[in-house]
Amino acid sequence: MEELMLFDNQGNLISKAGKAVVKGDLGTRLCALMMLAGAVLLIGGASWFGTQSLTWVYFAAGLIGLGTGLCYACRKQYTKGLIFAAAITFAISLAYTASIDYILKLDTLGTVERKMEIDWTTGQQVENDYDHSFKILLYGIIGVAAMILTSLFCFNALGTSYRLILQRRCGKPVNNIMQDLRSLLDEKFHLTLLSLPGLGVLIFTVMPMVVLIFVAFTNYDSKHLPPSKLFTWVGMENLFDLLGSAQNSDFAYAFQKILSWTIIWAFVATFTCYFGGILLAMLLNSKSTIFPKFWRTCFVICMAVPQFVSLMLIARFFGDMGIANTMLSNLGVTGLLQNLGIISKDYIPFLSDPTVAKVMILIINFWVGVPYQMLIATGVLMNIPQDILESAKIDGASGWVRFWKITMPYYWSVTGPSVITSIVGNINNFNVIYLLTSTYTTLDMSLAKVNAKEMDLLITWLFSLTQGDAANYAMASVIGLVSFVICAAFTLVSLFRMQRGGREKAFG
Amino acid sequence: MKRKRIFSRVAVNVLLLVLAVVWLIPIVWMVLNSFSTSTAMNTNHFFPDGYTIRNYIELLFNPGGTARFPTWFKNTFVIACFSCVISTLFVLMTAYAFSCCNFRGRKSIMNFAVVLNMFPGVLTMVAMYFILQAIGLTDSHVGLVLVYSAGAGLGYLICKGFFDTVPASLREAAKIDGASELRVFIQIVIPMSRPIIVYTIINSFMAPWMDFVMARLMMTSKNSDLYTVSIGLFDMLDKSRINEYFAQFCAGAALVSIPIGILFVIMQKFYVEGITGGAVKG
Repeated sequence: MEELMLFDNQGNLISKAGKAVVKGDLGTRLCALMMLAGAVLLIGGASWFGTQSLTWVYFAAGLIGLGTGLCYACRKQYTKGLIFAAAITFAISLAYTASIDYILKLDTLGTVERKMEIDWTTGQQVENDYDHSFKILLYGIIGVAAMILTSLFCFNALGTSYRLILQRRCGKPVNNIMQDLRSLLDEKFHLTLLSLPGLGVLIFTVMPMVVLIFVAFTNYDSKHLPPSKLFTWVGMENLFDLLGSAQNSDFAYAFQKILSWTIIWAFVATFTCYFGGILLAMLLNSKSTIFPKFWRTCFVICMAVPQFVSLMLIARFFGDMGIANTMLSNLGVTGLLQNLGIISKDYIPFLSDPTVAKVMILIINFWVGVPYQMLIATGVLMNIPQDILESAKIDGASGWVRFWKITMPYYWSVTGPSVITSIVGNINNFNVIYLLTSTYTTLDMSLAKVNAKEMDLLITWLFSLTQGDAANYAMASVIGLVSFVICAAFTLVSLFRMQRGGREKAFG
Repeated sequence: MKRKRIFSRVAVNVLLLVLAVVWLIPIVWMVLNSFSTSTAMNTNHFFPDGYTIRNYIELLFNPGGTARFPTWFKNTFVIACFSCVISTLFVLMTAYAFSCCNFRGRKSIMNFAVVLNMFPGVLTMVAMYFILQAIGLTDSHVGLVLVYSAGAGLGYLICKGFFDTVPASLREAAKIDGASELRVFIQIVIPMSRPIIVYTIINSFMAPWMDFVMARLMMTSKNSDLYTVSIGLFDMLDKSRINEYFAQFCAGAALVSIPIGILFVIMQKFYVEGITGGAVKG
């Protein structure tokens, strides 16, 4: 029975720790008790003893650390126990003393505004001891996260303790410290491998995301900008404002406009490049083409130039006074359009009229994207079984039918998932829009008030919302969240597709 | 019949010629302007009025107040090297753990990582900026290296796809012979995965050269000695400077394009396999 349970350690953290307390020996129960007492002290300490002196924090941290260490020491893993006891005590004391002031203010995000007051001992003007709302939010979140991680670790120690009890009862030897270290390079190698990348992701991807989510529920904008002002929680107000009716709010007005353009952009941009790439690749593959290698190189050269360089150049190329306008005007095209009444100024507003600019942006994106798609398509098309195409040809299928009935289904089955990822990529295509429209100022006052312009995508809009005098970080965060929800929906679809066609070997 | 074939031959090649010209115009324009005798953008003619290599000499050997191209190049190169080493290690480590180690929660962590990776950096970069500010790493190259490489583990997918193709029997045989997981990783899987390692290295080396947004946000200082190539070049096209520096911008852009172009050609063949998730198999 116990032999069975030893190998059935698939239960989750909490249940294993729970079993350790219920079924474990006296030592384990003592450890659990110490941890619990420490935790209670940490949670209640601030209100019982105040934050003037923090001795109680060290005491509580010591209790928890000792409890964790004992879990191992009871099983004769003394070195490990000592290391863990010290590490946990140190981590909790450090995290708690550094962040307790901030954690306690998380509910209001600060109450004392910055002002100058006279220090009577020196007679000079100094700043008062003010609250910095963003620091409170940031360090508070980090503190709470650290607490959660340590408690998970302690739970894990209890679970391990239970596993070691079972192991001993079955008469199996318990690892000593060298064996434990060696296992980190062998059967537990994944822990070693994943620790550093995981830490990086935690700090540089997950933490900013969590901060972003919390900022979305505050009124963090240019009127409430720390350090001189405070901001506070406003609940769902921002979200309702953004998703509400367009009559009442400039944000809602801009959001509806920008969201619809973002979606149109994402689909049109993706599919024009997708089909453009296939057609170009088929053209290059066609038997009538002489020097296919040479032509392909011409298109590949375009990819070697960094995107931001080519986009900035093209933006100048199509500027109001740019060379494209000069050439068209010399050719008489501008005059013709003027006579027809299509344009009112003496230049073509390639990037300065919202509607024309949107079309231009799609065309320029086509220019940027097609070579990439062409490369992919060339690779994939070469793998189409030629005999099927041949036999279809013999059976009398026209080129059109062969393309739609054989080439496309095959191509789609291979590249389908990547289309979904590139739709997500285009929803967040910052470079193209930002670099092409950086000189444009909108004439629509409602949009201008919220830092938006007609050609903005959600992502560029949220970027402009964090810049300049009318910055509104809270709204930018809400937009970020909405945008993430949209992308995540697409991502999940692509994820399922990828896994269905996956070639990973199942573990037996 | 023969006539029709000749016609289609001519038509296809003429069409390709037209397309190639359209695609190459901006590049040609850039290269021509980099040799232009006038520093400003010539809006009247496609071809510059005169040719000189002065722009390159100015840019490389005579860095002025705004244009410090050699410094930018060096900065970007150092950042690219460091972030390349860190990212490559992270990617390989994550990919191996997910591909070859069998542990509890592997699948769910993998899915979580893929979803996280879809969360675009631009969304969180404001929060990231504040975090870096809190630890004092804005306006520093260390901060930029971290921004480029710390989250690299999330991009493990392509590399994992490659590791999956290393026969499991090979790894198992090594383990039976007493090799630890570490030795399997270093002495069996890594040597067999040279192509994907080259791909990962080149890819992460190129990122800092191509990136514009992150660098722009993290480098708030006006001190152009700290800039990378991309922000430096962007600043050259500022409205107040464009007339003075347009030709030098083109020269700089051409100089950056050469190494990237070479790397790109090397990487080209892996690129296809990467995008299609390694599904291209004959």
